[in-house]
Amino acid sequence: MHFKQDRMTVKERINALFQNIKPDRVPLGSLSIGFQLINCGYALGDAYENAEKSFWATKWTAEQYGWDPISQLSMTAVFGAEDFGGRVRAPKSVYEGALVVESYPVQDEKDVDRLTMPDPKTAGRIPIAMRFAQLQAEHDLPVFFASRSPFTLAADISGVAPFCRWLLKKPELCERLIDLALEHITNVLRYWVETFGSERVFAWMIAPTESNQVISPRHFAKYAIPSLVEYQKRIQAMGIKRFGFHICGEQNLNLPILSEVLPWKHPSVLSFGHEVDLDVAAKYFPQDIIYGNIEPAVIQTGSPEDVYRLCKLAIEKGKKAPGGFVLGPSCGFPITPPPINVYAMTKAVHDFGWYE
Amino acid sequence: MVSKERTQEIFKGLSQAVISYNEETSVELSKQALEEGIDPYDAVMNGLAAGMQRVGELYAESYYFVPELLLCSDALYAGLNILQPHIKTKEKEFSTKEQIVIGVVEGDIHDIGKNLVKVMFEAAGWSVHDLGKSVKLERFAEEQLKTNSEIVAISALMTTSMLAIPKVIEMVKAQNPNVGLLVGGAPITRDIAMAYGADGYAGDASSAVQEAYRILQCLRNKKNR
Amino acid sequence: MKSMTSKERIAAILSNKPVDRVPHFPFILGFCAKNLGHPISIIYSDAEASFNAQYNTFEQYGIDWGPIYGYASYGTWEFGGEIEMPTGNYQQAPAHKMFPVQTEEDIERLAMPDVKTAGCLPIAMAFSKLQQQHGTPISVVVGGNLTIAGNICAIEKLCRWILKKPAIVHRIMRLSTEHIVDIVAHWAATFGAENVIPQFWEPVASNRIISPRQFKEFVLPYFAETSQRILDMGVRNILYHICGDQNANLPLWAEVPMGDPGLCSFGEEIDIGKAIECLGSKAVIIGNIDPSLLLSGPPEEIFERCRRVIEKGKKSPRGFMFSSGCEVSPETPGYHVYLMQKAIMMYGEYNGN
Repeated sequence: MHFKQDRMTVKERINALFQNIKPDRVPLGSLSIGFQLINCGYALGDAYENAEKSFWATKWTAEQYGWDPISQLSMTAVFGAEDFGGRVRAPKSVYEGALVVESYPVQDEKDVDRLTMPDPKTAGRIPIAMRFAQLQAEHDLPVFFASRSPFTLAADISGVAPFCRWLLKKPELCERLIDLALEHITNVLRYWVETFGSERVFAWMIAPTESNQVISPRHFAKYAIPSLVEYQKRIQAMGIKRFGFHICGEQNLNLPILSEVLPWKHPSVLSFGHEVDLDVAAKYFPQDIIYGNIEPAVIQTGSPEDVYRLCKLAIEKGKKAPGGFVLGPSCGFPITPPPINVYAMTKAVHDFGWYE
Repeated sequence: MVSKERTQEIFKGLSQAVISYNEETSVELSKQALEEGIDPYDAVMNGLAAGMQRVGELYAESYYFVPELLLCSDALYAGLNILQPHIKTKEKEFSTKEQIVIGVVEGDIHDIGKNLVKVMFEAAGWSVHDLGKSVKLERFAEEQLKTNSEIVAISALMTTSMLAIPKVIEMVKAQNPNVGLLVGGAPITRDIAMAYGADGYAGDASSAVQEAYRILQCLRNKKNR
Repeated sequence: MKSMTSKERIAAILSNKPVDRVPHFPFILGFCAKNLGHPISIIYSDAEASFNAQYNTFEQYGIDWGPIYGYASYGTWEFGGEIEMPTGNYQQAPAHKMFPVQTEEDIERLAMPDVKTAGCLPIAMAFSKLQQQHGTPISVVVGGNLTIAGNICAIEKLCRWILKKPAIVHRIMRLSTEHIVDIVAHWAATFGAENVIPQFWEPVASNRIISPRQFKEFVLPYFAETSQRILDMGVRNILYHICGDQNANLPLWAEVPMGDPGLCSFGEEIDIGKAIECLGSKAVIIGNIDPSLLLSGPPEEIFERCRRVIEKGKKSPRGFMFSSGCEVSPETPGYHVYLMQKAIMMYGEYNGN
């Protein structure tokens, strides 16, 4: 759907955001991986196993709902459990919304030492994500490289519960896993840069395990921040200009720590959970593009009026963010929301999203 | 006969062992309690469970987080494994007291939250029938019927799997309208839980037990009326 | 030409005036319920929820005509039989459970339904009041005369009687004719005849079931009579949905009065060019994307088919509205429905008007 009032192309709108110029309207993001497959009549599993179907479903659904490609992902390219030798399968039952881990590569402490680095070109689902990225490049879209943060990826290698226990009892194991995770992410990112050139790559990172629903700000500062800083150094050394960070869930207690470190280049896109107030986010990160933060559960179970109202509020707040704003969900888009609720987001941008 | 002071000391030590997630101390003090003739039931309730209660408070105060909770529950279970076999049947209010069926719905493998809720109920002396994760929907009603549990607790972490919750509630209520349904999990709010037909909602492990008692009270009041 | 609102567009086409682009006409019911996250049954059992689901979905997909209430098995319930509302994943619309006429003798016992209370009519009336409130076209949708007859006694029986006991068929057709006229009179009395646009869906007259000769003998006279009596009440436009393969009936349909302009929607089995040739001089032509193509795709083929239909339909002298040939399946992917909207936007404009 192209709004009649659109004065910019999708590309111009995203470029404007990164040049700190007000675009014609608030861009609309989706953080969606599965909904588009269902919307186009494909199986959910195709999101993870068939780059062509996943790409076209994304492109078509983006057109239908006016989604801007920020971000536009098939899935994360790297998976902690699968790439390091665990077993993962695509979702099958109607209630499964994401990949299902059947076994973790690390079952006990000794396994950590036995881990070997995955091949950055062939491990897990990297070839599928690469094909998706190639399709983005062919269609003149930003080429996304999506990964989990080193800390979250590390926890995915062992499973979150053992990882949490080791944080207190054997932190050296966690540090070892974080190092491996960082190396793996960097290796795969380098493959993206070598394939597409650093100018075209948009690095996107997702950090759910850092949320304060799981760990304390102390552990965040001690174990998550150093790898985050190091990853940023590497991103910048590779010449990547665009970075987005989904600061997933309840991370209010982590924000002061992050805002002091600020390892990324400005502006970057910072996407927030609904647990974080957009005004608070904009205050901590005035030089960055604030992204958020419509609660997926409301998109899934609320009325279209609920979704529309939340979007209106978010747009009113977000438009004041000095570094720019993207309206989007506060976490992964639901797979099977009533489609009218998806449209309610589009309609809210259409009704309230215009800049003077 | 063990003195009152010594008994209190052991209770406090057990509580502290749970709070400071010290499995070794928990095991050691549990053994000592048995050796010194302290009632194992009291040791569980006034020692280990009291400690876990405090852990719940620390979590609610954002002092403890999941890593701490997990290790505290490890310490609790370490002591419980020693003491529980010695609790005499007539005192074993665990098995005759409140019972709960708990599980994560089909399609969802995120069970850390559920396991923490489970430990809170065990610490509060409930008999917990844990169905595990990715549980086939009909299993909730089947297990409730088998155990005659008063509460069925259902959890989901994803917006996809949460859609299974109203179906479970419908199945359980169709079978027995007097069972209390408790719902929790990251994407769920109290409003959503109520819209799904649940009797109660808990946002975290520390509030779940209290919410279950509230549901029981409501159900009993309803029955008496 | 200046861009019109949906209401302006529909008002223009109903009064023989030019429109900015081809209007989008709905044949999409259960899909709307699912689009709002409701069970399909609300479309038929709850006037307000049904209206709301359609109204919102029509906004989303740029559908110009307003919500409608109706289903093809109309008549069974109203004449004293039973239907069941759709449940589960595979049912699309209310289905027959028990026909009011099982034997010949039952026919004599049939009473004319009270149009204020019978079957779904109170829900249909509540729905029409919502149409009035929202300023969308006030329609009452029932089966055509033969379809109602088939819903009274089951189609197989009706077919046997057409050959063996034609008098019985005429008796049932008389009942269905009088019933339709009663309904429209009730709607006309409530809303004013000039504001009511009745819709008659006629799948049973398809040539997969009856021959054109049988159509001429058993159907055409009743259609003509019903339409004339309705137009005499002051109704301006009547919509007939000529469902299924009725290629051989088309010249006969041209004899049925439908108002000025009439409204005629067609199943995908009929070429829009041929529909225009037979009925284009008296009716707005409506149609006719194959709902099974919409359901299964592929998208490129849907879009290309939409383009062809729109380009053909635009040549219709009394106007054209774009629609599916029969009801869009509730399982149809949303993107496929969007392609209809996109095709109208790309190919539906009337340049130089």
